[in-house]
Amino acid sequence: MEAAIRAQKLTKAFGTRKAVDRVTFEVPCGAFLSIFGPNGAGKTTLLRMLSTLVRPTKGEAWLMGIDMREEPDCAREHIGLISHNSMLYPDLTAEENLMVYARLYGVHNPEQRVLDMLEAVELKHRRHDVVRTFSRGMTQRLSIARALIHNPDVVFLDEPYSGLDPHAVEIFDELIDAQRAGRTFVMVSHDLRKGFDMCTHALVMAKGHIVTFDEKGNLDFGEFADLYRATVGMGVS
Amino acid sequence: MAERMQTARAQRTVEVSRPSTFSQYKALLRKDLEQEFRTKEMLTSMGIYALLVLVVYGAALGQTSKDLDILQMCGGLLWALIVFTSLLGLNRSFSHEKEQGCLEGILLVPLDRSVVFLAKATSNLLFLLAVEVVAVPLFFFFFLQGTSVASSFWLMVVPLLVGTVGVAGIGTLLSTITINTRGKDVMLAVLFIPLVFPLLYACVSSTTAVIVGAEGFMDVFVPAIALAAGYDVVMVLVSWVLYDYVVSA
Amino acid sequence: MAGEKTSKLPEAGQWPDRLAAVLLPLGAVVSVIGFLMAFLYAAPVNGASVEGVELIGGQMINTKLLISQKIFYFHMPVALVSFIALAFGAYYGARFLATKQQRFDTCSKIAMEIALVFVVATMATGEMWTRFEWGVWWYWEPRLTTYLVLMLIVIAYFILRNAIDDFERRGVYAAVISIVSLVDVPICFMVTRMIPSSVHPVVLRAGGMSGDMGMTVAVCMVGLLMVAFGLYRARFRQVRMAERVEALKELLDE
Repeated sequence: MEAAIRAQKLTKAFGTRKAVDRVTFEVPCGAFLSIFGPNGAGKTTLLRMLSTLVRPTKGEAWLMGIDMREEPDCAREHIGLISHNSMLYPDLTAEENLMVYARLYGVHNPEQRVLDMLEAVELKHRRHDVVRTFSRGMTQRLSIARALIHNPDVVFLDEPYSGLDPHAVEIFDELIDAQRAGRTFVMVSHDLRKGFDMCTHALVMAKGHIVTFDEKGNLDFGEFADLYRATVGMGVS
Repeated sequence: MAERMQTARAQRTVEVSRPSTFSQYKALLRKDLEQEFRTKEMLTSMGIYALLVLVVYGAALGQTSKDLDILQMCGGLLWALIVFTSLLGLNRSFSHEKEQGCLEGILLVPLDRSVVFLAKATSNLLFLLAVEVVAVPLFFFFFLQGTSVASSFWLMVVPLLVGTVGVAGIGTLLSTITINTRGKDVMLAVLFIPLVFPLLYACVSSTTAVIVGAEGFMDVFVPAIALAAGYDVVMVLVSWVLYDYVVSA
Repeated sequence: MAGEKTSKLPEAGQWPDRLAAVLLPLGAVVSVIGFLMAFLYAAPVNGASVEGVELIGGQMINTKLLISQKIFYFHMPVALVSFIALAFGAYYGARFLATKQQRFDTCSKIAMEIALVFVVATMATGEMWTRFEWGVWWYWEPRLTTYLVLMLIVIAYFILRNAIDDFERRGVYAAVISIVSLVDVPICFMVTRMIPSSVHPVVLRAGGMSGDMGMTVAVCMVGLLMVAFGLYRARFRQVRMAERVEALKELLDE
């Protein structure tokens, strides 16, 4: 099976400091990759490079077999990103917000697609309300609908839980679970337990390097947590 | 739960095809307009600011004689009003995009970056023109009643239009830059005013020329408009080319 | 691995630096020669003439021989050098946008610093000249206006650099501003020059340069270019060394 994401010596330097240093890995289609690491390990930079928001300084990456440096626009068709920023306009309604993105992506029959997505995230009854009036949990649900409006193959989650209460987290997980079929997920999260439970592949970073990359089948949570703590300790000193 | 799984699967057959650049431009422009119609934030703040500047002028011009002085000064005063009002509007034009990270959302869409520039410049242009439609007659009402304004004054529509295009063009580029800097309000003014100086100079000359309407005013008006239009073309082109770098940084 | 990393450290001290060490004092000497030539070699010429007779500095004047004209031999080369420095700033800015290499951002920044030094010198010499030829400290004359705008842009460039922390973003924004200002300045000159002013008296200057004048200007120009290049390389070396220290610190941290 073709790899969903393949990174080859991916490097991002800010001046002389290397945020991500020669990272190489590969995940198959349908995988759920969790990226762990202490603050400043380069997780978010890696995620932003893989989602075409940041251009790598060196190295190569392929997404669904597309060279991301050569054809970033082609790769973008397959990418959805959910972050702690909702990327929604607070003064537009839920429906208008999704319509903006549906039109930009060129979704066929956008009105129907927007209604379907609103239904899927259980916000159909609030579709004419301005996003500013939504709770954090509802906004985050709507941002799932926004990220998936063009039916991407690879979905990136950048600290999606920040600011959500436990109930909202539960609903969020359910929704993500419902969208798993056939899609590849990449998540950056501080929540070790949750990230480990959801993933099929785990990647630990420190100081821009990969410390561990493995399938979950080969890992045991206890050992993994110990390893992670050792890594974080290294990062802190 | 199972039901939702099914809707999810039904969604797998979504058809997507890359829309034309023009329809992406329309979608972005429409979003800006929808937002403005809902909040009327830019228009009211710019409109009130323009009115306040006019009130300040009222005090500043308290001692000028009615006819000669004001006619020669009014082009400059009008353009000072426009420059300061547009600074206010330009500063705000990207705050919505930054607030919830929407700009990143747009950058994730496969589209030509210059479309973002053109759409934003167009919406800024429309808002500025809307404010001018109110502010310029107000300026006449307050300061030019009973003066001997030349009959050629209606020609000032040309410098107003040409000038506003340039202000919106270079202003959109600069406000994209300053939104990511510390002290962004001041930063925009610091960059904007020297860079827009040539356009301002040309527009003031041509506006004054048609309002005063002295003999041979066309000798000033025509080259000034030509230079202002040249500035527009060059600056919009440069901004358009460089925008990709700016918005992705 | 260690070797690969060290080779990417910022470096300085290649052949241009050795050249700069010679050019800087040489440029100073040539500039001084030019300075002396301005007084001893070039013939005095008529200063500005005004339409009719006007009262300037308490004297009725239409045209006269002015010693203040001598500053022209410095003013013009300084102005040209500042514009050349600005052009280099924009050129390296474009190189930075294309490659995103720190080296070009540094080059662009330093070229702009040199431009600032020479623009301020231009303004100072221009002010003196304005004072003595026209009797006022400031006059909105095309060249002066253009240089005022240019000075403001270059200052804005440095204010902008100071207001951004992210290295790459700072480099990109600075490069864009340097390119835009290079485009803006000639337009500014054309606009202020070509739109006839209906209000102020037009100040005319007899055009053309005689051979001795051209010679003096050329000598000053060469001297100042050498000085500019020497300053550029000296500053470049200093900044690059500082960057090298930073990079080495990063390496030691790891």
